[in-house]
Amino acid sequence: MNRIEFMTELAALLQDVPVEERRDAMKYYNDYFDDAGQENEAQVVEELESPAKVAATIKADLGSTSKDHGEFTEKGYTDSRFEHREMPAGREQKENSYHYGSSQENDYRGHNYQNNSYQGGCGNEEYEGHGQTPPRTNSALKIFLIILLVIVGLPIILPVSIAIIAVVFAGIVTLVAVFASLVIVSVVVAFVGVCVFIAGLVSLVPELAVGFALIGTGIILTVIGVVATVASVRLCIIVLPGICRGCVWILSRPFQRRAVV
Amino acid sequence: MVFNTGAALLDAIVLAVVSREKEGTYGYKITQDVRTTIEVSESTLYPVLRRLQKDECLEVYDRQIDGRNRRYYKITVKGTAQLDLYRVEWKNYSVKINELFEGGITV
Repeated sequence: MNRIEFMTELAALLQDVPVEERRDAMKYYNDYFDDAGQENEAQVVEELESPAKVAATIKADLGSTSKDHGEFTEKGYTDSRFEHREMPAGREQKENSYHYGSSQENDYRGHNYQNNSYQGGCGNEEYEGHGQTPPRTNSALKIFLIILLVIVGLPIILPVSIAIIAVVFAGIVTLVAVFASLVIVSVVVAFVGVCVFIAGLVSLVPELAVGFALIGTGIILTVIGVVATVASVRLCIIVLPGICRGCVWILSRPFQRRAVV
Repeated sequence: MVFNTGAALLDAIVLAVVSREKEGTYGYKITQDVRTTIEVSESTLYPVLRRLQKDECLEVYDRQIDGRNRRYYKITVKGTAQLDLYRVEWKNYSVKINELFEGGITV
């Protein structure tokens, strides 16, 4: 997966969050890739793991505002439950009125961070041993299952769908051919009628009876041909678009459903 | 790392990192800076930054860099106050833990 694929998938996964949130997140990760530089692109993609995971992280933070999941580990966190926690409400600094200068920063940097949960101003985080397996969100699981299904089903779905398309195509061609032949037959009958009529006129001089017979036959054939032509053309006009519409409808049904998801 | 980093501590670390840059700093750099201290995955920080921004502890602005707009994060007055609070809390906390770990405990 490259950057473009990653971002495209992320955008798709963030369809259901507010526009502003989506734009902000896309901006952030786009900047991130830009700043990481092209040479680090693969590494960043790998570290971000998957668009699904990133999307889950973003959604988890948007979703609930309860304070039940206020913990995560540096390694294990990433997934979903990364939880919102209000700022400590009390700005008043309790009994500690002493101030720390900038040396403070160095000071706590020096601790090697042997810390665990922070008892924040609200005191609402509980310490959670090694809770390293936060539950996966539903949507991530769903996407994973869909991908799995596609991968597993591909060898079956692909030939079957090709066969279905071929059959449908053959059926359409057959139908068109049948109606086209009807039209052609009718036109030919009309043409033959005209020819016979002319032949009758020509033979009127030597053999009167044969000439009249031919003229009569010719007129009848012409009329039948013209009527049949008009009828079959009209039939085509009515039936073929209907068939086409039917085919399009059948073919587009699976895609429509996917679009809804 | 055996110990978890709580969300508040992560907030504090991010605020501290951002506050070091007067002009503000940007997502990729924040991640790299935070990573010099603790291990975080690349996807961890975006929600933190977003939340701090919503809580008005950070403000964002775009600046033109190399023909594109890069988003910068800058600490606000509220964010500075918050960071000071975190520093005090952290100091108390770490002093107590150190006392406990390094002996001389008198209950």
